[in-house]
Amino acid sequence: MTGGTWYWVLFGLCAAWVIVCGIGVVALRNIVHSAVSMVFCFLGVAFIYVLLNAELLAVIQILIYVGAISVVILFGIMLTEHPRGRLGLFFNRQSIFVLPLVVATMLGFVALAVSAKLPPSGSESHNPALEVLSKALFNEYVYPFELVSVVLLAAMVGAILLARRED
Amino acid sequence: MNDTPIKVAVTLIPVLPLLGFLITLLLGKRFFGKRADVVAVVAVTASWVLSMYVFARVFGHLDVLKENRGEALDFNLFTWVTAGTFTVQWGYLVDSLTAVMLLVVGTIGMLVHYYSIGYMKGDGGYYRFFAYLNLFMFAMFVLILANNYLLVFLGWEGVGLCSYLLIAFWFKKKSASQAGKKAFLVNRVGDWGFTLGIFLVFTTFGSLQFADVFAKAGEAGTATVTAICLLLFVGAVGKSAQFPLHVWLPDAMEGPTPVSALIHAATMVNAGVYMVARSYPLFIHSHTAMLVVMIIGTFTAIYAALIALTQTDIKRVIAYSTLSSLGFMFMALGAGAWVAAIFYLLAHGFFKGLLFLDSGSVIHAMSGEQDMRKMGGLRKKLPITFWTMLIGAMAMAGIPLLSGFWAKDEILAVDFVQHYYVVWAVGIITALVTAIYMGRLMFLTFWGESRATEEVKGHIHESPATMTVPLIILAVPAALTGLLTGWPPDEGWIHGFLEPIFYDVESEAFAWAGVGGFLMLVSTVVVMVGVYLAYLMYHKRRELPGRVVTRFPWAYKASLNKFYMDEVYEKVVIRPTIAGAGWLSAVFDVKVIDGAVNGIAKLWGAFGAALRPLQTGRAQNYAAAVFAALVAFVIIARIWGA
Amino acid sequence: MKPVDWYLALAIILFCIGAYGVLARRNIILVVMSLELMLNAVNIALVAFANFMPTASPRGTYFVLFVITLAAAEVTVGLAIVIANYRNRRSVQTDDYDELKG
Repeated sequence: MTGGTWYWVLFGLCAAWVIVCGIGVVALRNIVHSAVSMVFCFLGVAFIYVLLNAELLAVIQILIYVGAISVVILFGIMLTEHPRGRLGLFFNRQSIFVLPLVVATMLGFVALAVSAKLPPSGSESHNPALEVLSKALFNEYVYPFELVSVVLLAAMVGAILLARRED
Repeated sequence: MNDTPIKVAVTLIPVLPLLGFLITLLLGKRFFGKRADVVAVVAVTASWVLSMYVFARVFGHLDVLKENRGEALDFNLFTWVTAGTFTVQWGYLVDSLTAVMLLVVGTIGMLVHYYSIGYMKGDGGYYRFFAYLNLFMFAMFVLILANNYLLVFLGWEGVGLCSYLLIAFWFKKKSASQAGKKAFLVNRVGDWGFTLGIFLVFTTFGSLQFADVFAKAGEAGTATVTAICLLLFVGAVGKSAQFPLHVWLPDAMEGPTPVSALIHAATMVNAGVYMVARSYPLFIHSHTAMLVVMIIGTFTAIYAALIALTQTDIKRVIAYSTLSSLGFMFMALGAGAWVAAIFYLLAHGFFKGLLFLDSGSVIHAMSGEQDMRKMGGLRKKLPITFWTMLIGAMAMAGIPLLSGFWAKDEILAVDFVQHYYVVWAVGIITALVTAIYMGRLMFLTFWGESRATEEVKGHIHESPATMTVPLIILAVPAALTGLLTGWPPDEGWIHGFLEPIFYDVESEAFAWAGVGGFLMLVSTVVVMVGVYLAYLMYHKRRELPGRVVTRFPWAYKASLNKFYMDEVYEKVVIRPTIAGAGWLSAVFDVKVIDGAVNGIAKLWGAFGAALRPLQTGRAQNYAAAVFAALVAFVIIARIWGA
Repeated sequence: MKPVDWYLALAIILFCIGAYGVLARRNIILVVMSLELMLNAVNIALVAFANFMPTASPRGTYFVLFVITLAAAEVTVGLAIVIANYRNRRSVQTDDYDELKG
């Protein structure tokens, strides 16, 4: 997709969705509500990927983030006890200090990014298509690919070791 | 005079005693036992032989020296100190003055060594004594042979050290070790002045070698030269025990008598006189400095003489007479009677050394008793001691024809002729007092009935040959030096001998008739009066001294207590210093220094305590800090990068 | 504003939201969730660059692929740690994890 008015309208909607859900994660009182908000946020990000011509990534995002990571987090929530949090953005003494910091950072970085001199974008999108991506994955990037599988294995074994009962 | 034999001789003169010291100290006890003196005595005898050789060479070279002062033997052995532009050589200078000093030091040093064989027999530290004596000879030789101020200072300190070691020789005796400390510390005060003087010499003249300094002596400003001379003189005041740094000399009598004879009569205390004489080219440019020297010398002379009148310890009387004689020498130097001063030094070395050794003989005979009130009638029992001591005493008092007379008289004559009438008057009075107390010493010790205990009386005997032979040997020059070297006045042999050193001295012609003869007559009369008074008070009518004392009790007390100088020092110097030290250790050290050190430690503790709240243990806080820092870095990088 | 800038702005905003969650919330699991938000924000930025750069540089996409994978692994292990800790401490409040205090 190239730019066009509808494109940007769609972008605005998706961006709003992601941001609102993000704030939801951070600001909600109940942790399960936060978790659900996070799921919706991931979904929004997937749409963003679509807008960026990275369809494969969108699918992978949904599969892994929404499908796996969110579940794991929900499991974590279920296995632990959670006292009731507070609503709003000023939760504790920390936030008095952190909130301005974060807002300032945000504004500052946006300003920086916008004013940065980036090479002008071409008309075509260069996100690779599925075929190209898969070919590259098994040719140039086979090494990291295999390594990642080892990492995943290690993570699995580690998680099991860490979480088992001591008996 | 620049050939190898004399250079070798001069080099060996200090080296032999140094070797003697090392061998005797390290091996003496084990290998030599009772004969630990052998190496030391041999060394010092060899040095004496070499000294005589050098003296003869200088004597033969005299005409050349008179023509051209630069012909003196001045050579360097090796470069001693190099520090940037500051270099000091270890080198020797041999001229007439050196020759005279070698004569005194070498002869008396050797005789004292022989004397000590008998005197120190049986002492537990026998080997140590001879080792220290040799070390002293080494230092003294270096002092008089040196050709630059720093090497003189090395010898200076060396003799000071040996003085301490030998005064406190019987260190188990508390008074002896304290006397040694006193000598060293008072000397140190003088050395401080000397050191400053050396610094000033270097900054003014750029070198410490005598040849360099004296060549340029006229170029420095009067104020600078005066300062240098005064500072150097401070050193002399300490070393030669002038007022007010004289307090150590009487206490130094705690050391064995040979030590007193060698160090405190004939050699070490002369170092100050030698140094001032050697610095003649500097002193003649400063009238002020010479005036100061003269005044202090004169004052010391009369001051010491008055104290000697009431002392009861035989060695103390001689000690104070030494102070008085040294005062005379400085008086001479200051008044411009340079040759007379050295002349007196030469004569004094012999007769004072003789007097001390004689007193040692007396003490030895009296089984260690030193109080004259317990002596008497020793004339018949100790003939050799008596006759030699008589000669020495007469020389000291200034009986005509003996050495002391010629020298002292010449000094007084110069005073008079230079219009220092007050000084002359004080000198005459001092001569009178000297005659009185020397007479007193002789009469109390040798005449009359013996006042010793029965036990002591039984042991009275003449000293062994090793002690009496040096006495006899010394008596000869003590008697004759004046006649042989100082006659006729101003044109005697010694005047010619020292002319190359003390050039430019205006010696007023010594008129026989008229002033010169008149002065000699006055001195003679004064001395005779003094001797007669002593005879009267201490032999014929013994009750007289008691009556004088009751008439003038305060005078007697003042004299007996050395005019309270020690008490003054105690109050003015010692107490405040100790109080200051106490304050420093109890208050300053504890509160300020420890406080500062502990304070620094506490400071870091405080820092830590202040910073501790940052370590909350909560990862989020740390993360917040990291985040903030990251943001800051990015912004800074962006701004700079742009 | 170039097209890229919009996506970058979005990424930055999301990143900061996630940062706030990481720094200010007390619940550990919530911190982990916010961490995921931050990772997503970075991914968005990467893909945006991959898309809009003049020369073909698909590396952004590949990078994101691996990031997603590793994020999954990280969450797994992280939660395992939280569970293990929870067993001893019975709390998920970050305030209670202050043994390194002082």
